[in-house]
Amino acid sequence: MGNRLYRTPFDNQPALDPGEPDLSSTRGFLWWLFTHQLRVILVGTLFGTIGLLCSALSPGLFGRGIQAIADQDHSKIQFWIVMILLLGVLQAITSLLRHQCGVASYLICISRLQALVGRKAVDLGADLPRLISTGEISAVNSNDIEKLAGAFDIIPRLVGAVVSFVVVSYILISTTPTVGIMVVIAVPLLGLGIAPIIKPLQKRQTILREKLSHSSGIAADIVSGLRILRGIGGEESFLQRFREASQEVRVAAVRAARVRGLLDGLQILLPGSLILGVIWTGGKLVIEEKMKVGELLAFYGYSAYLAMPLHIMTESSQRITSGLVATRRILSLLCQKPFQTWDTKRHFPKDEALRDSQSGLEIISGEYLGIVCDDSLTADDLCDRLGGYLEAKSVFYGDSPLSSFTRDSVRAQIYSQEKEPSILSGNVGSHFSAQSSGRVSIEQALRAASAEDILDSLEGEGMAAELVERGRTLSGGQRQRMALARTLFVDAPILILDDPTSAVDSHTEARIASRMKELRLGMTTVVITSSPLILDLTDRVALLIAGRVVAIGTHKDLLLSNQAYRELVVRG
Amino acid sequence: MMKFRRYSPPTPVDESKLSNGAYPAPPSGVKRTHKDYGIGESANRLPIAPESTVNKEMKILFLKHKFGFLSVAFLTLLTVAASLVPPRVFGNFLQTLQKNPEDAQISQVVGIVGIAILVRTIFSYFTNVRASILGEFILSSVRERFVEKVIEIPPSAAERAGSGELLSRTTTDIDHITWAMRDAVPIISICLIQIIGISAAIMTTAPIFMLATLAILPIVAISTRWYLHRSPQAYRIQSSAYCTVNSVLVETAESGRTIDALRLGNDRNERTHAASARWLEWERYTLNLRVRWFPTIEVNSVLPAALVLAFGAIFYSIDSSKPGYIGIATITAGVLYAQMMVQPIEELLWCIDELQTGKASLGRLFGINEIPPREIKDAKPDGKTIESSNVRFGYRAGKDVLKDVSFLLKPGTRLAIVGPSGAGKSTLGRLLAGLQPPDLGKITVGNAEIGFLPVEQARMEVALVTQEHHVFMGTLRQNVSLAKPDVSDEEIWQALEAVDAAGWAKALENGLDTIVGSGGARLLPAQAQQVALSRLVLADPHTLILDEATSLLDQRAAKHLENSLAAVLAGRTVIAIAHRLQTAFDADLIAVIEDGQISEWGSHNDLMLANGAYAKLWRSWRDES
Repeated sequence: MGNRLYRTPFDNQPALDPGEPDLSSTRGFLWWLFTHQLRVILVGTLFGTIGLLCSALSPGLFGRGIQAIADQDHSKIQFWIVMILLLGVLQAITSLLRHQCGVASYLICISRLQALVGRKAVDLGADLPRLISTGEISAVNSNDIEKLAGAFDIIPRLVGAVVSFVVVSYILISTTPTVGIMVVIAVPLLGLGIAPIIKPLQKRQTILREKLSHSSGIAADIVSGLRILRGIGGEESFLQRFREASQEVRVAAVRAARVRGLLDGLQILLPGSLILGVIWTGGKLVIEEKMKVGELLAFYGYSAYLAMPLHIMTESSQRITSGLVATRRILSLLCQKPFQTWDTKRHFPKDEALRDSQSGLEIISGEYLGIVCDDSLTADDLCDRLGGYLEAKSVFYGDSPLSSFTRDSVRAQIYSQEKEPSILSGNVGSHFSAQSSGRVSIEQALRAASAEDILDSLEGEGMAAELVERGRTLSGGQRQRMALARTLFVDAPILILDDPTSAVDSHTEARIASRMKELRLGMTTVVITSSPLILDLTDRVALLIAGRVVAIGTHKDLLLSNQAYRELVVRG
Repeated sequence: MMKFRRYSPPTPVDESKLSNGAYPAPPSGVKRTHKDYGIGESANRLPIAPESTVNKEMKILFLKHKFGFLSVAFLTLLTVAASLVPPRVFGNFLQTLQKNPEDAQISQVVGIVGIAILVRTIFSYFTNVRASILGEFILSSVRERFVEKVIEIPPSAAERAGSGELLSRTTTDIDHITWAMRDAVPIISICLIQIIGISAAIMTTAPIFMLATLAILPIVAISTRWYLHRSPQAYRIQSSAYCTVNSVLVETAESGRTIDALRLGNDRNERTHAASARWLEWERYTLNLRVRWFPTIEVNSVLPAALVLAFGAIFYSIDSSKPGYIGIATITAGVLYAQMMVQPIEELLWCIDELQTGKASLGRLFGINEIPPREIKDAKPDGKTIESSNVRFGYRAGKDVLKDVSFLLKPGTRLAIVGPSGAGKSTLGRLLAGLQPPDLGKITVGNAEIGFLPVEQARMEVALVTQEHHVFMGTLRQNVSLAKPDVSDEEIWQALEAVDAAGWAKALENGLDTIVGSGGARLLPAQAQQVALSRLVLADPHTLILDEATSLLDQRAAKHLENSLAAVLAGRTVIAIAHRLQTAFDADLIAVIEDGQISEWGSHNDLMLANGAYAKLWRSWRDES
């Protein structure tokens, strides 16, 4: 089993590396998952089968016991009671072991899939939002993974059910063929009798779930916008909408309960009629002395018992069906490929110019360049392109396109900060945990981004201060300054910033502009902005109109000479 | 076979890769989990109702619906009674068959058992339906009452709690209660009645068998008590730990660009792994609990019936004239009854967990009622003058954000508040809007303290728009007309026009009827901000506070919007907290706030003449032009 992660059902520590799955087909993927929990499933199946057989055999033992009492055969009475107890103990032990194996297989499967999904998300990186919605990732993780694991979990019980069904059928037919055949044929038929109810029940339950998620969606929406509702009004109309949704849930739930009630009723009526049949035919056989009293009791017990394997089989078919649907969704996520292709070996040389063929922009090594764009979407695209997040083939470093280097070396050399960078959950220490050049200390970075005051507003001291809810409790300006501090701390040789001070007040902006300039002295720095406070300190400024560079010069020159530039930059 | 039974201790979880809110490792073995284990202070910002309150509320609910509960109980009783008939009749039938087969009347037996089955089928259906009607009614009233209460909590409390905690109560806790109500409560009541019914049947069959059935009770009771002291808490943490894995993955997905840029890929994988491993530790802990508890329950499925058989064998006699006579009929019925007892007991034990979780959730829902209401001092505002006198305020003791702020604002004045980040600008805005009163000093509108006015009245006087731009699920019309739900389309279009939003709103597929917000058409942050402003236009208060309300628009759009908004807002008092100096230039008065105090106050020209901090900044900002 060499590299297998889960040596025992009791030791389900996941490994960091989930392995390489077979993504070629649904069957291949399922087989791959199956082989990685083979032992647990096999052992579980063994115990599951023994456990279900034990409970299948107990009506027979009770029948023998009663017969022995009727015959007043004391040694037999003792024997059968001891047998019943032994069988009970065996059943208890095996179902316990089966449960452990089932849980282990469930956990192994889930944690492996979690690791695979996580690794995929990391792989796709910046491309992910363009390929799939984050809602889908969440749905796959909170729903589909569990469903697939649930399908594996039921295998031991399914096998046990089939085996015990066959064994009981054999016992029934071999002891009293007429009644036996009747029971063996009737039980599956009764199972089919319930079938017409299953579909409408599932349909109504689906409707119920939808209504429920709709109503909790409205409630969540009210809570998220509570400050606005309290500040401006509209509580009553939103409350009314919630009440309506909640009443719809109530109606849907009662509708589902009616079908559920019907199903429960049928589950009493159908096995009940089988028992009637057993009493009728079995009773006659006993009168004709073709059957013993104890055997009739056993038959009564067996026909009641057979409902259980049947129930397990119905449940299995449902679980396996939804497991297959879930597998397809998981596979379609795992099969996503990033847009960009990268070279796998070539590393980045130093001190070359960075050139964007689409806009005609050229960035000289070591300069402090300002970029003014007439439209913010062009600016975002440019920022993505220069960082190698978009069309890495059209951006050149020296003479080679970015895509001809390894992804990691490009990321290490060029740091492109998007307009609204994410703050990751954690504390200040983990906020500054990325690989950095080591040249800039956290304190220097915080000072340059004028972000020292933010630490005071956080709960906790120093590096342990917590960024609650991924920094959502911070204001837009505070988030922006924390992100900028992180970027400056990483201290990449080439830095591209997209409007890094848009939500910062002028006082602070002025401070950041001068401190950042000082910190980045001699390193390539590109700032896309329209702030005169920043532009005034740059070496050169490039003006982009409709995605093309139309003018280059110092800030002061452009202000004097270029009308379009003046309009974009001067805020008065 | 021996190899896999061996327990190999798991490698410890890398704590440094867990998020701050993550749960600690479970106690070793099956030691008890502390009641408030792993719940950080942050989760407790909203009160939780004590158990006594929950019990009281549950009693009130029960009394309110006592007829409903009684009718469900009665129906259940009939169903259970019908289920007790077949074993008895069958037992007698077997005895007759054994003693004198020629007396056996098969058709009569089949008839009686058939009727019993039919009766049980019908009443079980009605029990199900009635129980669901009652349960769903109670559930809907509980959840509606909760949301009603949420909507009434004072704005300051809502803000302190953070949306996360309120959100989890609204979704997770309501889900738990729904679960408990829909499954656990009916199952528990049905099982209890079944157990009572079956016990009664056993007593009438042969009291001695009751002893056999009860023999295992002490073991089950002790082990279950042991289990219940540990399980609810552990399951709660286990499911939260599972959710943590999901949030790590979603965070990875949402922050893909940032993670890629920071080259944190491996770190993310390690975090997923750590969160997943912590969840598994709790799964293993609860599995260990079940492994201890299960066997005692499993024994319950065979032992009583076997004991009945043994007792039957001992007391068996053929002479039916003896008192306390036990024949084949009695033993058969006894064995069948003992087996019937297995299922309700097992289900009951399974559900108790669920019920405990539901009860804990109820405590969290009723906790909302414990939030102190907003303090109201009855005073009618007389006029529209805003005055702040010696205002002092801090979020935490000893750390004042505002220190002695005083000013007077005549109606119709446009005031710009500028100053460095963290100087207290936004806090002042919140106090001016009356979200809460200051610690010391007064903020008044027409001489009435706004922090003590009822929320509904305060917002007719002063409205605040911040950077927060939540778009509600619903149509664009519903989103704009929060303050006046019955407003005409024409007025809505005017409001959208006033914030430069009519253009893109007209381009939406269904105009005002377009569904926006989560799950609907996506609005850009800048568009959401315009919607927020358009709400304000319709709300029409005499004083507006704009806290960086246009910061997400680009420079030119913001300037244009401010101009068209100004036309609509003419004559109103506007207090703009802004980081763009242009806003200050356009205002009648400027307040420069530094370190919680007003350091400069006056018109643009005054401040330029005074040549202080403002003038300096203005020059550095404008000297190029």
